[in-house]
Amino acid sequence: MRSNRRPIEDRPLLWLAPLFLLLGVLYLYPMLDVVRLSFTDAGDAGAPVHTTLASYRAVFGSPEFGGMVRVTAIFVTASIIGQLVFGMLIAVLVCEGERRRLPGAAVVRAIVLVGWVLPGVVIGIIWKLLLDESGSGILAYVASMLGVREPAFLSAPVPALVWVTVANIWRGTAFSMILQYAGMKTVPPELYEAATVDGAGALQRFRHVTLPSLRGILLVNLVLITIATLNTFDMVLPLTGGGPGRATEVVALYVYHLVFSEFQLGRGAAVAVMLMAVGLALSACYARIMPREPAA
Amino acid sequence: MTLWRARRMAGSIGIYVGYVVVAVVFLFPLLWVVSLSLRPMDELFAFPPRLVPQHPTLAAYREVLTGSPLVVYLLNSVKLVTATVICSLTIAIPSAYALSRLRFRNATLKSLVMLCMLSVQLVSPLVTALPLYRWFSLLDLINSPAAVVAVYVALSAPFATWMLTGFLDTVPVALDEAARIDGCSRLQSVIRVLLPVMLPGLASTAILLAISTWGQFIIPFVLLTRGNLYPVSVGILDFQSSTDAVSTHLLAAAAILSALPAMLAFLVLQRFIIGALTAGAVKG
Repeated sequence: MRSNRRPIEDRPLLWLAPLFLLLGVLYLYPMLDVVRLSFTDAGDAGAPVHTTLASYRAVFGSPEFGGMVRVTAIFVTASIIGQLVFGMLIAVLVCEGERRRLPGAAVVRAIVLVGWVLPGVVIGIIWKLLLDESGSGILAYVASMLGVREPAFLSAPVPALVWVTVANIWRGTAFSMILQYAGMKTVPPELYEAATVDGAGALQRFRHVTLPSLRGILLVNLVLITIATLNTFDMVLPLTGGGPGRATEVVALYVYHLVFSEFQLGRGAAVAVMLMAVGLALSACYARIMPREPAA
Repeated sequence: MTLWRARRMAGSIGIYVGYVVVAVVFLFPLLWVVSLSLRPMDELFAFPPRLVPQHPTLAAYREVLTGSPLVVYLLNSVKLVTATVICSLTIAIPSAYALSRLRFRNATLKSLVMLCMLSVQLVSPLVTALPLYRWFSLLDLINSPAAVVAVYVALSAPFATWMLTGFLDTVPVALDEAARIDGCSRLQSVIRVLLPVMLPGLASTAILLAISTWGQFIIPFVLLTRGNLYPVSVGILDFQSSTDAVSTHLLAAAAILSALPAMLAFLVLQRFIIGALTAGAVKG
């Protein structure tokens, strides 16, 4: 009887039901199922499955796992640093240009963002074409101008990882730029004026006014690009396919290969669970940061 | 005073130098691929390389559009994206209404819902694709476009809800309350009063969803195995593996064509999109 006091159309859960149903069936339940699968020896679909820790043991024991973690760590760390630094530089350039009312600031902002709306696979193909070693690649020509004959961009392990990282920075800088740009826009102009009156130069203004005001946004940015980079898959596939050998096999590719080439669903699920755990831990950080962020 | 002006001038020049560098770094890769796509085959290996081809031709585009499955891929993408955007908005509108207008008996429940939607987006689709592939194989749903759309919607509905809740929060409550006093049910007030007011919000949400769905890769890569069903993101990978050095211009043309819709949508509506992104970023 008590529930009748509130008309049924006033209940939020009724309005949220379709979303919850969808997320429950196609997101939450699969996430739980991955955890379950990781504790099994599942191979092909349909084969009988036993509960076991063997998958985790096999993953940790395999020589490829250490290599993948190393490759992923280098890729993620370098990508984050590159995206944060270049995102910040471009955001400062655009903001400063807008402050001085220079024509062109908005154009630059738009150009950077074009790279961000391209599908990941297309970005991989674009960089593959730039780095072509067979004669039509422009970077091979540039290298030959600099005296490097027969440069190895994607055919040798170390350069391949470097170029995959460069391509990822190219792709992700726009996102960092727009977040930091948005953050800078919320800094009251009076702060800059006060700093200028106090005799602060451009660098000092940046260090003592911009950076402290951006702390929250930078942390959010850090969390989001870490997750995005950890999940990178589509761009690497056309660029190197994880090769040469396994030199650019980042964690998402590793999971894919385990499951769909080696048919080790249990092991793939075990790595996916670790990936998911990192993602969820980072979103917990994100959730802790957000409420402290003052409303704009 | 002149010193100050000179310093300011120098600063502006420095900024422009920065702009040129940024523009070159971000535009050149695209321009180079456009250049490759406009070349006849014998200019592919021209030495020294030229950005502007000597004899530019649209032959590569013609060949790709008539002699390859790219058109099929593009059409598949259009269908998947359209269905996904419509279904996502259909689910997100009532959810956003609940989050913006209805009183939750428990305030923490509401923030929990918002948080849940956020963290769902931070989990790679690859993680959920593993069990989904298994289930869909058992249910004979591999190669079902409808199943792919359902997963796409699950990926994009939380984001759409998040965006629309933000937009609804800016619409005065008095508006739908007036409609309710005039005898509308809540559902009627949404359809007759709120939806028309929300049109700009719906449009920018739809565009952002369309751009992200257009580039979505893992789900169709895993759940579709028949080439004639591939969206362009997966199809172009197939296309790449079927080309070699002497058909680079075809691959370049295909890459440009498959990126074009997302790029056009962005360029036409970039003010909208940047506004939505920056608002979202600052609000969270």
